[in-house]
Amino acid sequence: MKKLLAVVLTLSLMLCAFGALAEGEPIHLTLWTFQELHTELYKTMLDKWNAEPGKPALDIDFQVFPYEDMHNKLTIALQSGEGAPDLVDIEINMFANYLKGDIGLAPMNEYVEPIADHLVMSRLNNYAKDGKYYGIDHHIGATVMFYNTSILEAAGVDYTAIKTWDDFHEAGKTVLEKTGKPMIVWESADCWSVYPMVNQHGGDWLTPDGQVRMDEPVVINTLAFMKSMLDDGTAIPCPGGWTHTEEYWGWMNGGNCAAVCMPFWYLDRFTNYMPDLAGQMKIAAMPEWSDGGHKSAQMGGTGTAVVASSANADIAKEFLAYACLSFDGCVTTWKICGFDPILKDVYGSEEMKAPNKFFEYYDQDIFSVLSEVLDDIPDTCISEYFPSATDIVKTQMAYRLVELREDPEQIARDCAEELRSLID
Amino acid sequence: MPNISADKTSLRQKGGSLNRTRFVPYLFVAPFVIFFLLVYLYPLIMTVIMSFQKIDGPNHHEFIGVKNYLKLNTRDFQMALQTSGRYAFWDVIVLTIFPLLVACVLHSGLAKGTSFFKSLFFIPSLTSIIVAGIVFRLAFGTLETATVNRVMTALGLQPVKWLSYAGPGNFVLILLTLWRWNGVNIVYYLSGLQSIPADHYEAAQIDGANAFQKFFHVTLPGIRPVLIYVITITVLGGFSMFTESVALWQQNNAGGVGRTIVGYMYMVGFKKNNLGLASAVGLVLLALVVAVNLIQLFLMGFFRKED
Amino acid sequence: MASNKIEGKKRAVLSILATAMMILIAVFAMVPFAFMFMSSLKPGTEIMRYGLTLKFDPSISSFDNYAALNTYRDGVYWHWYKSSAVIMVLQTVIGLVLSSLVGYGLAMYQFKGRNLIFSLVLVVMMVPFEILLLPMYQMMIRVRLMNSYLGVIIPYLVPPFMIFFFRQYCLGIPKELLEAGRIDGSSDFGIFWRIMLPIMIPAFGAMTILSCMNSWNNLLWPMIILQTEKMHTIPIGMGTTITPYGNAYDVLMPGAVMAVVPIVVIYLFAQKTFIAGLTAGSVKG
Repeated sequence: MKKLLAVVLTLSLMLCAFGALAEGEPIHLTLWTFQELHTELYKTMLDKWNAEPGKPALDIDFQVFPYEDMHNKLTIALQSGEGAPDLVDIEINMFANYLKGDIGLAPMNEYVEPIADHLVMSRLNNYAKDGKYYGIDHHIGATVMFYNTSILEAAGVDYTAIKTWDDFHEAGKTVLEKTGKPMIVWESADCWSVYPMVNQHGGDWLTPDGQVRMDEPVVINTLAFMKSMLDDGTAIPCPGGWTHTEEYWGWMNGGNCAAVCMPFWYLDRFTNYMPDLAGQMKIAAMPEWSDGGHKSAQMGGTGTAVVASSANADIAKEFLAYACLSFDGCVTTWKICGFDPILKDVYGSEEMKAPNKFFEYYDQDIFSVLSEVLDDIPDTCISEYFPSATDIVKTQMAYRLVELREDPEQIARDCAEELRSLID
Repeated sequence: MPNISADKTSLRQKGGSLNRTRFVPYLFVAPFVIFFLLVYLYPLIMTVIMSFQKIDGPNHHEFIGVKNYLKLNTRDFQMALQTSGRYAFWDVIVLTIFPLLVACVLHSGLAKGTSFFKSLFFIPSLTSIIVAGIVFRLAFGTLETATVNRVMTALGLQPVKWLSYAGPGNFVLILLTLWRWNGVNIVYYLSGLQSIPADHYEAAQIDGANAFQKFFHVTLPGIRPVLIYVITITVLGGFSMFTESVALWQQNNAGGVGRTIVGYMYMVGFKKNNLGLASAVGLVLLALVVAVNLIQLFLMGFFRKED
Repeated sequence: MASNKIEGKKRAVLSILATAMMILIAVFAMVPFAFMFMSSLKPGTEIMRYGLTLKFDPSISSFDNYAALNTYRDGVYWHWYKSSAVIMVLQTVIGLVLSSLVGYGLAMYQFKGRNLIFSLVLVVMMVPFEILLLPMYQMMIRVRLMNSYLGVIIPYLVPPFMIFFFRQYCLGIPKELLEAGRIDGSSDFGIFWRIMLPIMIPAFGAMTILSCMNSWNNLLWPMIILQTEKMHTIPIGMGTTITPYGNAYDVLMPGAVMAVVPIVVIYLFAQKTFIAGLTAGSVKG
């Protein structure tokens, strides 16, 4: 029995060796992700890579895990130094966790630096430490306003005339009076309302050197504005607590609210989960603050990274750059995922104008909105204590503002104090 | 095989049964002892060590004394303690008493189709918690048009934002737990009830005992070992509950309404990548559960009889 | 005679009350499941439009979603199913055999160190598993059990909660049975096998059910151990269908329903066997 096994093993090994000689054994890579859609992008780019002459053949094993669990698995693998994949998608809120102590990821500088002028670098700064870029993002995530035009028309409001948040508030009052529907929702259980607005206003939670900014006047003023909309009913707490719940999608899809302020990548939540609003939704720039600030805010994201201990780190890096930094890769990103790519060259190109389900749903030149704001998007400060800050915003700041309607100044001070107590 | 062992025993019996009983019990418990030494001992020791460390990567384990434990003096952790404590309290009350009543009714044979009901009650515990979470989330939605709020309105009551506040949130959690675990606890109790010999009831009957007297003098003492097990497990389950809260709130615990101790541990360990602090939280939880269970076991007279 | 009649009437009333109570609880248990089942027949977008409803609309309801399970990601659902089933069977069989021995030993014998071992059982039972993840993972890598079913079941080979339950259950078994067996000349394991096992059948029934359920719903540890997509279990796979992209509710709902059905069948079967075994065995105090 053993003998037989040995023979079989030897034979199969020989066969493998011959096979490798004959057609060039592909290099095997493993990629972890929590977004099945991302694998579509990688698969498309992998096929193109393998079709190109001169590139070493690649074979990638895509492994999709649930969001929370994939990051746990990665934490455990990097903490123990064993069992990590070659390539991995890391969500922006988690990224700072992997840039502490021994960094288990490989820097991508050799691919980023030569084309830095063509990239929206503020995105890559989110995944950088000490001048080294560890993650490649797929999108800018510029925050925009999604308007339900049939509600606005019923109230006689022209959304293109809304320029500032004060205009927005006034329009909200008209909508509420004419239709009885709220203008917008604020999240009470997540950060996608508070953070973009604070960030667009010029605020943030932390400075790059770890100082807490949560109790600055800009934060308090932003919270006070949000509260004023809650007080007169033009804004209501988001059904289900945040904008990624079945309850919210169903309610929004039923035509119960005039607008939602979310990053650009939210456009495919509409196509997927709110099919009845097709043709009614329009994308516009965020209203601006009359006392300064910026045109938009970059929110969310996924930094794809190469694990430093990978035996094939070099080839993994080359593939990552090919898939996510090249012109073709960025156009494919838009086509498959509906993201606003980080390579500036693609905007205005013919390739980006090809009809797809997004153009059909929104029926407008989506990118003209985007190019208006691209030049004025502030950096976000994603440093070591960012996960802690996000947690405080989720569990305390947003909740106490939106659900309990507490005094903004008090909330900001308490949250800042809590965050300071967590920093060594 | 049986012959050989019979021979051996008969041989040993001549030598005295004392010898035999001396090592046989160790054979019975050996699987656990081996398992404990090989699988559990090392991780347990490591966890205690890690709770005194700051861990940043495989080669960055730095001893920082009791700093991790001191860091637990935050509002967040106290809220987690409160949430878990509140939940555990109601969990123990509801999930020991209610299934016991149901099990007694089932065992009495009074209801028709007993075995049919038994299997029905058990189905929820097998359902995907992700999907169960969606169902409960939507039923107890924040809107006035959500299923349960519609019922509330029809009954002339005010609609409630169930998952936004601690009290109602805890109520929904208990309900979800009852839904999932009721059938399991019924099975425990039934196995206990089945082990009570019928002649005990007959004897009580002859003594002229009524239904309540039978319950307190025959049924309860008869299932006492199983009851102790159920309470201990429920206390443990109550303090270490995590899955149900994730199913309802999906990691987004506004106001910390549904963040339990294990939820907190999970958050610091994985979302903030601080495994040292997470170990400290876990050991505090262990101490808490052991303490509460010791008190409970003492009150149940657990140590009187067996030791 | 008259009192018997009253007794009979009383019993009839009680019987109706008891049945009514059971029906109520059954409704409570089944309602969420009914919502799941009804949703599994409709396109996923219906959940977004109308939330969960029990309404049956033949024009949009079909078993198409179930058929789609076969094609979803090249039919990976059935691989998840197989993994879950293999792990469940292995974990339950091994766990039952080993922990029933230990629980029985702890309950029936007096010996030195018994209390220490039982305390260890209780402590291990109460340790939150999450804090053991990192060291446990490092061990699994060292013994090369990553991405194997064995690696998944190792922490559950001798589950402490089972030991505890068997011990509690065996406390109720009269010790005289052990003595009687010895007088008959049986070995201690012979006694366990021939006399005690039949008595312990209800306990085995309860633990089989619980072990199957724990294993079937377990997420965290299998997730850490299993690497390749085809090795994943149902909870891991179902978790990946919930992403903000794509209409995964089409797969999630039928997937969840299909995950329940076989277990219910096993349960019904097991229950019958156990009850038959119970009546056949001797439970005489």
